[in-house]
Amino acid sequence: MDTSSVARDPSLPHAPRATRGRVALVIGSGSVKCAAALGAYRALQREGIDVDMVVGCSAGSLFASVMALGYDPETCARMASGLWTKDLTSQPDRRALLRAAFPRLFGFDAHWGLRNDARIMRRMEETYGDRTFADARIPLFITATDFHTGEQVVLRSGRLVDAIRASIAIPFAFRPHEVDGRLLIDGFMSDPLPVGVAIREGANVIVAIGFESPYQSRVTSAGRFAFQLSSIMTNNLLKASFAFHGLAHHSEVIAVIPRFEQRIRLFDTAKMPYIIDEGERAMTEQVPYLRRLLAAVPAA
Amino acid sequence: MTAGPRTGGAGLAAGYAGPGPARGRDGRPRVGLVIGSGGVKCAAAIGLWKVLAREGIAVDAAVGCSGGSVYAAAIALGFDVGESERRTLVMWRDLFTRLHYRSLLRALMPRLFGFDEGVGLIDDRRVRLVLRELFGDATFADARVPLFIAATDVATGEKVTITEGRLADAVRASIALPLLLRPWPVGGRLLVDGGASNPLPVDVAIREGCDAILAMGFENHPHGPVRSFAGAVGRTTTIVQNHLLRATFAFYNIAHHAEVVPVIPTLGRSIGLTDVHEIPALIEAGARAMEEQLPYLRRLLAATAT
Repeated sequence: MDTSSVARDPSLPHAPRATRGRVALVIGSGSVKCAAALGAYRALQREGIDVDMVVGCSAGSLFASVMALGYDPETCARMASGLWTKDLTSQPDRRALLRAAFPRLFGFDAHWGLRNDARIMRRMEETYGDRTFADARIPLFITATDFHTGEQVVLRSGRLVDAIRASIAIPFAFRPHEVDGRLLIDGFMSDPLPVGVAIREGANVIVAIGFESPYQSRVTSAGRFAFQLSSIMTNNLLKASFAFHGLAHHSEVIAVIPRFEQRIRLFDTAKMPYIIDEGERAMTEQVPYLRRLLAAVPAA
Repeated sequence: MTAGPRTGGAGLAAGYAGPGPARGRDGRPRVGLVIGSGGVKCAAAIGLWKVLAREGIAVDAAVGCSGGSVYAAAIALGFDVGESERRTLVMWRDLFTRLHYRSLLRALMPRLFGFDEGVGLIDDRRVRLVLRELFGDATFADARVPLFIAATDVATGEKVTITEGRLADAVRASIALPLLLRPWPVGGRLLVDGGASNPLPVDVAIREGCDAILAMGFENHPHGPVRSFAGAVGRTTTIVQNHLLRATFAFYNIAHHAEVVPVIPTLGRSIGLTDVHEIPALIEAGARAMEEQLPYLRRLLAATAT
């Protein structure tokens, strides 16, 4: 297997394989914890199991994109840890607070966010450049949410930077992002673990890596209360949506839920190697079941 | 109203005794009614209730979430539908208009005034007064049919089904709109709005062993431009809650085959907490939605009758 960091070659088509459409990797929202998907990817590569499509939601879209571009897991990890550092969101947007406090005077509209997103955009441009979905070697789907209608939006064309920026537009923290004339926010608000996308795209076996949002140990401000409420609602949404899709798609959805003994904060990028290892461990546990499923599913 | 068999266990969901018998006492199929979260829109339940009363269809178990818990409790207690309609026309008025200034200070300056889970920006005295007028000291034991009220544990995010204690407390917990009405303690747990975990708790009626389940649910329609921070908070909550409603309903429906009858009133416009002038139209819409489902409900009841 070619594991060099320049494995991608734009002249290559989407590499149709005999097993095309069989295995989907779905990476749910979960901030830096999504790096566990790289460990799962490492385990699948080691076992010689091809991934035929990748679906990413919120921070999961960052990792889904580097995988789909054809980088090996180690390069993916290096790219991700360079992309995701604490200084990313340390720049507040000073006008944002004035806008929230005096909406009539300073003008409040849907394009509102507490944090300046210039740095994260620049960092993503450095990583993904002008690459588009067409450059992906594995079919890639990124989910976001339409701010006006609330519907889930599946992005499958255009610049990766725009799709990822929309998918990670955490409410209140980052401004919503416009793609093809639609104002989009974080994909976790419509489905934190978008297994339905892989089902609709014809996957036979779906490996779903999902994470619950953490609860606050103490609610000491209105912001934390809102955060707690968001965690409650999206965790219940995650469970309900996963239960439905698991039932609708019979037993071929494999949940890979890494167990983290260590507490992982939003910018604990130093813990990325640990997170990746736990992802690999969780995936490895499911490999025998995955193999049984693949043996039972006829090739497409 | 025929009294169905009492099967509800004691305490919160953990004490629940399991599914009840699949038939009413007289051998007829059991009808469960679930009224979901929807603020003032839940007044549409009055319309549904009027149609059931006219048709002589008895409810054997009632489940309510958030605003829907008020009507589930009224039906289970055997209130008169006409009297409940008269009360509905006045009780929603001025319910959420008084601010709780101490909470406002605590939200704006958490370090100085101390912020905790107990903060609610609306002065809830009138809410508690209305609940006391409606339910007095009635408890779940006073209900003529099994009654279940859905809420959410604010610490763990789990859905909680309340099956005992004072109805006024259970309803107050179920309608505790996060940040607006302070959470309410029931059975040693601090609870908020059931809509945050399970906006249309059909699963409770399934566990209760109902043959046909009428599920009255409400979607919130995001509308208009967002012009304030509160508007942005409202929009994000609305979006997630709509998806939660659809995902839970889709799951319960597929898990329970075709016996869940959705009763979804449509008004074609967005209705907020303060739109009390819409109540007569809502009651009409609720009746219309129930009328539309009557033939299907009749077929279901005929098919499951012994």
